[in-house]
Amino acid sequence: MNGVEMVRVVVDAEKCIGIGQCELLEPEIFRLDDETAISVVVGDGLLPCDRASLIADKCPSASISIGR
Amino acid sequence: MIDVATPSIYLDGIPHDRLGAIRDLPGLMWHPYETNGFWAVTRHVDVGEVSKHPEVYSSGIGHTNLWDLEADALEARRTIIDSDAPDHTRLRRLVSRAFTPRNIMVWEETTRSIAAELLDGFIAGGGGDWVDLVAAPLPIRVILTILGVPVEDAAFLKQLSDHLIEGTTGEMTLPDDAFGNTTPLRLLPFGSPASFAMYEYGERIGAERTADPRDDLVTHLVLAESNGDRLTPTEYKNFFQVLVFAGNETTRTAITHGAEAFAMFPDEWNRLMADPSLMESAVEEVLRWATPVMHMRRTAAVDTSLAGTEIAAGDKVVMWYTSANRDPEVFEDPARFDISRLDYEHVSFGGGGPHFCLGAFLARMEIRVLLEEMLKRNLVLSKEGEPVRAPSNFVHGVLSLDLGVA
Ligand code: HEM
Ligand code: SF4
Repeated sequence: MNGVEMVRVVVDAEKCIGIGQCELLEPEIFRLDDETAISVVVGDGLLPCDRASLIADKCPSASISIGR
Repeated sequence: MIDVATPSIYLDGIPHDRLGAIRDLPGLMWHPYETNGFWAVTRHVDVGEVSKHPEVYSSGIGHTNLWDLEADALEARRTIIDSDAPDHTRLRRLVSRAFTPRNIMVWEETTRSIAAELLDGFIAGGGGDWVDLVAAPLPIRVILTILGVPVEDAAFLKQLSDHLIEGTTGEMTLPDDAFGNTTPLRLLPFGSPASFAMYEYGERIGAERTADPRDDLVTHLVLAESNGDRLTPTEYKNFFQVLVFAGNETTRTAITHGAEAFAMFPDEWNRLMADPSLMESAVEEVLRWATPVMHMRRTAAVDTSLAGTEIAAGDKVVMWYTSANRDPEVFEDPARFDISRLDYEHVSFGGGGPHFCLGAFLARMEIRVLLEEMLKRNLVLSKEGEPVRAPSNFVHGVLSLDLGVA
């Protein structure tokens, strides 16, 4: 993917309230745990920078941050 | 001082001019109220700030309605809504799984068949009271199905939930001992004897599921173990009451204002008919337009400041979602009902943070499915009279709305 900067998303398990907005937008990256409904990043957690910041923005509890 | 708390003001509709005037004042306005006033937070950005800082703006110190409660009343009726971490986190994690988008999808077909049945009845009758015929029965039946409560009891539980709303209007129609109530009213949610009946009902169904577990949400609540401890009986009955009430009144309100808006602005309905890809933004616009919950309160846990105004620990801070949803800083031409808005960051489900509405995706699904079924039937609604509004400063409630089938 030439030219698209990829960043890694991280979920703060303490703050996540299990709304599932992240899983709805990126089911390949976020998965809500079946028991706790806390969002877990599956795989490498890499997303294009724009997309990652949109998803971080959409999380109601501001639990998603962008690592590197 | 600009009054936005007197319930009767709301009989004529939302006082958008007053809220707008408060929004335009510098800082926050101090709003006198009974013996203890509050800071009125009316701008979108400030609502977000309060919502996302629960360590500063507490839900548990006081509660989340305007009026004050004595300590024992607060404890007796404490719910997920008026608690702080770590209690809040524990309660929320008990139920959050049931309401994720993935798990809500399971209920879509049930919702669709309920919506279809109600709409077919409405159309066959040539229209009528939209609240009674469609908007009220849909959400109560859906939430009862999820809880695992017999749907035959929908009418009874809807009646109880209507009485709870009265508790926010100051116009109570029930005697103190209605439904065999023996509890002092001040210990009951919304000071209503209907809460006693709701508790009793929840306890009975909870006992049934404890003895004979099923695959439903009530069973999950009565048997759930979280960090090794169960819900206490008080926690359980308050949780049951919140799920029935919150899952019911609010969605009904959204569906009612949405239908009225589409009847008033037929061009918007025509746009949706012509281009169903507008559905997602249309649902969000219905939510913004309706703003079913008009405010939530917090109590400052520490001295702080917001929008340049000093707030002392213990002060009440009230977020007016109704105002934030018309904030011209965020919404272009906010008084216009426009289903293709992309600036739809409304705060109808709260301004974010840990208390963000648990039922947000359920409510969205119900509204979408209803609109889809209306489109399928080419249903065009016409307004036959003015809505009868609830005299409430808390919910944007409509008691009845006559709509016709054009
Ligand atoms: C259009 C429909 C709805 C609207 C407008 C609405 C609105 C709200 C608002 C404004 C809050 C408070 C947010 C805050 O304090 O930050 C809330 C919380 C809540 N809502 Fe909804 N709601 C709706 C539907 C539902 C449904 C269908 C359910 C069913 C489960 C539900 C359950 C709850 C619960 C349990 C809370 C408390 C969450 C907490 O404190 O952690 N709501 N809702
Ligand atoms: S959107 Fe945020 S709060 Fe919701 S599940 Fe994802 S990380 Fe958790």
